[in-house]
Amino acid sequence: MIGSRATTALLIAVTAIVFVILYGPIVVPIASSFFVVKHGAVSWDQPSLAAYGALIGNESVLEALRNTMIVGLAAVAGAMVLGTLLAFHYNAGRSKAREILQFVVFLPFLMPPIITGLSLLIFFREIEFDRSLVTVIIGHTVFVLALVYRTVLVRLQSLSRSLVEASYDLGASGFQTFRYVLLPNLSSAMSGAAVLAFALSFDETMITILVTGTDNTLPIRLWAMMRLGFSPDINALVALILLFTTALCLLAARLTLPITRTERSGTAGRRP
Amino acid sequence: MSTDGTLLELKSISKSFGAVEVLRRVNLAVRDGEFMTVLGPSGSGKTTILRMIGGFAAPSSGDILLDARSILGMPINRRPFNTVFQDYALFPHMTVAQNVGYGLTVRGVPRAEVRRQVAEAIELVQLGELAGRLPAQLSGGQRQRVALARAMICQPRLILLDEPLAALDVELRKQMRLFLKNIQREIKTTFLFVTHDQEEAIAMADRICVINYGRILQLGTPHEVYYRPNSEFVARFFGDNNLIEGRLVDGDGAKRRIETPIGTLVCAIDGQPDVASAENGRRAFAVIRPESVAFNRANAAENTATGIIAAVSFGGATTVTEVRIDGADHALGMRVMTPSRVEGAALAPGERVSLAWSAAECRLVLA
Amino acid sequence: MSAGEGAAAGWSGDTLPPATAEARLWRPAIAVLAYGLPLAFIVVPLVAFLAYSFFSVEGGQMRFDLTLLNYRRFFTDEIFLPVFWRTGLLCLEVAALAIGFGYPVAYLLTTLEGRKRYVLAILLVIPLLMSYVIKIYAIRSILGGNGFLNKALLAIGLIDQPLTFFVFNLNAVLLALTALLIPFAILPIFLSLERIPRSLLDASADLGASGAQTFARVILPLSLPGVVAAATFVFVLAIGDFLTPQMVGGNSGFTFGRIIYSQFGTAFNWPFGAALSVILAAVVMAVIAFGALFGGRRSKSP
Repeated sequence: MIGSRATTALLIAVTAIVFVILYGPIVVPIASSFFVVKHGAVSWDQPSLAAYGALIGNESVLEALRNTMIVGLAAVAGAMVLGTLLAFHYNAGRSKAREILQFVVFLPFLMPPIITGLSLLIFFREIEFDRSLVTVIIGHTVFVLALVYRTVLVRLQSLSRSLVEASYDLGASGFQTFRYVLLPNLSSAMSGAAVLAFALSFDETMITILVTGTDNTLPIRLWAMMRLGFSPDINALVALILLFTTALCLLAARLTLPITRTERSGTAGRRP
Repeated sequence: MSTDGTLLELKSISKSFGAVEVLRRVNLAVRDGEFMTVLGPSGSGKTTILRMIGGFAAPSSGDILLDARSILGMPINRRPFNTVFQDYALFPHMTVAQNVGYGLTVRGVPRAEVRRQVAEAIELVQLGELAGRLPAQLSGGQRQRVALARAMICQPRLILLDEPLAALDVELRKQMRLFLKNIQREIKTTFLFVTHDQEEAIAMADRICVINYGRILQLGTPHEVYYRPNSEFVARFFGDNNLIEGRLVDGDGAKRRIETPIGTLVCAIDGQPDVASAENGRRAFAVIRPESVAFNRANAAENTATGIIAAVSFGGATTVTEVRIDGADHALGMRVMTPSRVEGAALAPGERVSLAWSAAECRLVLA
Repeated sequence: MSAGEGAAAGWSGDTLPPATAEARLWRPAIAVLAYGLPLAFIVVPLVAFLAYSFFSVEGGQMRFDLTLLNYRRFFTDEIFLPVFWRTGLLCLEVAALAIGFGYPVAYLLTTLEGRKRYVLAILLVIPLLMSYVIKIYAIRSILGGNGFLNKALLAIGLIDQPLTFFVFNLNAVLLALTALLIPFAILPIFLSLERIPRSLLDASADLGASGAQTFARVILPLSLPGVVAAATFVFVLAIGDFLTPQMVGGNSGFTFGRIIYSQFGTAFNWPFGAALSVILAAVVMAVIAFGALFGGRRSKSP
């Protein structure tokens, strides 16, 4: 793009400021995790891994972590099944009902989480379903559903229609077509979506706060601890979480991006 | 197969997409073992016919009979037909061998048997060394042959081909025409081939079905359709025909005269009851193939015209001469096609010539 | 099936006829699940939620008669409407700030190529992967009396005493939300800048415009859809966040989201909270629609 030296310098300056803003809140806790912390004050001259050691013994945090993993895996599994189902249904034809359904699926993701959370809260209360990890799982599933649905749908639509027709033409059943033709071509998009959905569920706070019972996920535990103050091992936890979610996102990107080039010779198999 | 050799019959098939009528009461009988080509321009409905036979679309009304039994409710994967798709639809994540063997695999044929049959099929289409390749690694022509092998291996009653040569370049297309024709003769399976290319149709078909605007206009051998078109559309479709508009006058049963701007022409009537019984004064066209016209032989012919040469186009094996005919008040030209000569064209623009053709080479179609 | 009878068993041209024999069984089952589950867990809760907004609480008990009491209260009671406006204004400010910081970064991103661009993009995304709760906590301590910001300003000499200006009030909410949401502003702006064909810039230079003129007359207008998208995105995220204001807002930084949240906590008036949320949802949808209208209107490309 057009720009002079001065412009570039200005851009870099602003970017530097943005980096300070973005990384400031991150750097301090993570850096602190490698030092001794007494009464909230970091001794920058005493490097130590004590925080990480203490983390292993912190029962409440570990339990919250376990709950977070359970919720994440369950929600992702649910979202994958339902999202894939919905994507196939949407792709199978055109109707007003389908458009409305798609809109409904997108709602929990587009609306502020407070609304999704509150509506589920009211719903569970009215059907007298106690709040628990199950309600959290439902909340997370509904939240990440749109992501999984959209990812699978986009990939599904990119597959030439004639592949499915060819499979049927050669005598395969619906299930065989799904297994031999569609799944191999969808798998990378699906895994990418699953990983990203897990990362989203892992850190989800707002909906969880509203629909959880007595069980804590990690974000809830951290939120509660904010009132009481943090123990030093939280810094270690934060560093590990950042590492974990970064790895997840890189994995998700790696999985979704290389797309097998589908058949493209001459005109694509569109109907006349 | 019913007694007259009909394998598949379309009975009064109509299809509308919303308000658009794509097929109107189409009747077609495909004979067992023949190579039939459905020929028409884009939007004529030819691909729709194919898709309905294959089961990918359902007719709005009418019936499809296989061996005289309706197959309308039969789902795609139960119909004993296989399709070669326009974009080949090869499964991109499977090798050539896996693609070809797919139809057998999903039927539960044991692996060893699948391997054997696949090897045979691949040999038949001459793709021997490429069995382990992925479609992305193949050329267009190779992919086409894989699609064909895949369709043949299940030994269907009918193979449907949806403009399979459209994506290939000219030379390859010519080679593939021959290849497909030979394969069809060898395996004796009925082929239903859809195309918009009339050269292709003439070269390959046992019978050609010409379709436009959802209606079948003519069904016959390439020779019939080429030399004896029964409508203006078909006459024009096979390119380069001279169509001279005029009004019918009297005739006996075998011949009829037509008054045109270039004079009164005598045309033969060949199995055309509509032309024979049309009233005098009816608008019609005299159809004359460019290669049927001779230069400067006026004395022996039933039909003659004189004019001045407007242009001479060298087209390789043949040369096309455009002649502007005398007596026409607006520019009326005729095209004459002659074999090219090494020494160059005998005639040059501006020269005066006379043209001649017999009544047998002059056909009538109603306007 | 006799000839003609099987014809067109009611299939419209819009959906494929059942392509396989089992499809006739599976299709309805799939449809039931596809429509049923979202209906149960998305539509019904939202309907219940909407219904709640028309109920009321009396003497600690829910009354299930329909009433517009809650909505009236919102408009007439002197607390809620002002807080609502203030929150909306705050979120607009957040959007403006985020775009102010985000636009130059997006622009820089477009000037980079290949590896450098990839690395910068990743670096901008990583902060989003940090635990949300901890991020806000860290921001709070940075803004606090002993925090980094005050220490830095003291060191530079801009102030001689730590300010409480930055924390436990609406300013803190503003700063915190901005810090959180800048990355979300960068992406849409980047995408729309990327779409501008280089040939337009070359043409502008060819016709004699300076860099600044090209920016003002060509680049900026063409990137507006992205800016609108960024503003919409940030605004919606900001206005829906009730945890950040809770953490850094203290007693004077009350946003609309916090008021809603408290209805489900200490204030215990679920119907009223529902009504307030409905109003929030309506505003969010209006903003999204507005943004789509402006953002979606493609600048006419040559």
